[in-house]
Amino acid sequence: MPTASSTPPAGLVRLGGTPSVPDYLRQLWARRQFARENAVSELRAQHMDTALGHAWHLLNPILLTAIYYLVFDVILDATRGLENFIAFLAIGVLTYHWMQKAVTGGANTIVGNEGLIRSLQFPRALLPISTVLQQTLAFLPGVVVMAIIALSTGEGIRPDWVLIVPAFVLQLLFVLGVSFMAARAADAFRDTLNLLPFLFRLVFYGSGVLYAVDDRFPIFEIWWVELIFILNPFYCLISLWRHALMTSYQVPHIEWLWLSAAVWTVIALVVGFLVFRAGEKGYGRG
Amino acid sequence: MAETAAPPVRPIATEPGNVTVHVDDLHVHYRVYEDRRPRLREVLTAGARRPSFREIKAVRGVDLTAYQGESIGVIGHNGSGKSTLLQAIAGVLPPTQGAVYASSQPSLLGVSAALRPTVSGRRNIVLGGLALGLTRREVEERLDDIIAFTELEDFIDLPIRTYSSGMRARLHFAIATSIEPEILLIDEALSVGDEVFREKSQQRIAELRERSGTVFLVSHSLGTIRETCTRVLWFHKGRIREDGAPRTVVKHYREHMREAREKPGADR
Repeated sequence: MPTASSTPPAGLVRLGGTPSVPDYLRQLWARRQFARENAVSELRAQHMDTALGHAWHLLNPILLTAIYYLVFDVILDATRGLENFIAFLAIGVLTYHWMQKAVTGGANTIVGNEGLIRSLQFPRALLPISTVLQQTLAFLPGVVVMAIIALSTGEGIRPDWVLIVPAFVLQLLFVLGVSFMAARAADAFRDTLNLLPFLFRLVFYGSGVLYAVDDRFPIFEIWWVELIFILNPFYCLISLWRHALMTSYQVPHIEWLWLSAAVWTVIALVVGFLVFRAGEKGYGRG
Repeated sequence: MAETAAPPVRPIATEPGNVTVHVDDLHVHYRVYEDRRPRLREVLTAGARRPSFREIKAVRGVDLTAYQGESIGVIGHNGSGKSTLLQAIAGVLPPTQGAVYASSQPSLLGVSAALRPTVSGRRNIVLGGLALGLTRREVEERLDDIIAFTELEDFIDLPIRTYSSGMRARLHFAIATSIEPEILLIDEALSVGDEVFREKSQQRIAELRERSGTVFLVSHSLGTIRETCTRVLWFHKGRIREDGAPRTVVKHYREHMREAREKPGADR
């Protein structure tokens, strides 16, 4: 028996090596149906054993908005003269919720799928892609809720509503990039999973979900505080939706927010993908 | 290694060049969390590092070449590294050192591997097929055959967390062989099935071998190993202790087991 020869016999390929970026992308594209099927299956299974079933996909965003409305408008009266606080709030809460769910779900994909990873060989990036897809599908009823709230509170349909599409695409790709990073980070340090909820809580309060970043608050007149918000991708992405759907509220510096969101999306996607792929060989080792 | 004296017996004719799997100086280590209180000495010497992770050296230097038409049994104690070896050959557990070369992507069949526990059997078949690289149409074409093979028609739309381990093994075997893999790795998956399933799966394995595939079979049933395999590896403490004809290796393994029973703790 030939043993210990360092050159492999002709015609064999090395397993578990890292493919080149074009090859990897090709493999992902070839198995895109898996990502879709996996996302849909998980989504279907989610509310299988509840009495209300799929109605939960619509109830979730409604209840989420209702709670924030109850606390911050009815009880605390924290509207600060915002004309249409409920639309402002719904857009902030629902788009932020999508980003949070997609990234925390994405972080769990390598750690939580050890069984699948150790039994089937496929490009692992399919897992975060699939989870982000799943959370995006779960977010779509939220878009309907936001639109209905905007319409019923007198915002009216304008050509600007088309801007929802680029806002949606930017946010989806940004979240995907961040999920790639989170998945790799959680595989290397499990503690990431414990830390993420707190990070998202912090960013939640720091991204203008509940308040307008304008001259209603003296602190936002300081130029560098404003700059921090313009450089915060979460604030930018939320603001794009408000810009598209609302006339009663004018988002300040909206051109800069579009630019900032676009730059962040490219950075997150490229860096996230490369970081995730660099760890590919180690996934499943625990 | 001195023990690898017996040359492998290969009843199906092999010519040079039809190698399907080549394993070159393979080492696989992995980290597991250990649930015990660290000793004071460890805390002091390890400093800030967590002392409660243990590095398991499951495979420690394996060289192996497998040919078309071979059915290779892998035997050894619990914890000797058999499953890890198969996972590494499948490419799902990355090598720490060394490399695995194969003529095509091997298909791994394990008993513990739950695909998507909350998802129905039918959807798991679709998911598994897509992950293995089939197109949606190919999966749909084969779906009825796969379900028929599992004989789980009545349960196919239930979530697989409700399946027994035998039912799960049937499903998984059907998924793994649905793509007619050239290299099939079976880890204990047959042992939980009933008599009917065992016969069916052995027939399927024979078919795969005849189509000049290679099958690896981990099992504790030495009878199955002797019936099904053309070559046997005795795996011991992460290394190949013996590699040869089923009768010889199984005989040596039995002798070793008998000695271990008589002198517990001698060489396990």
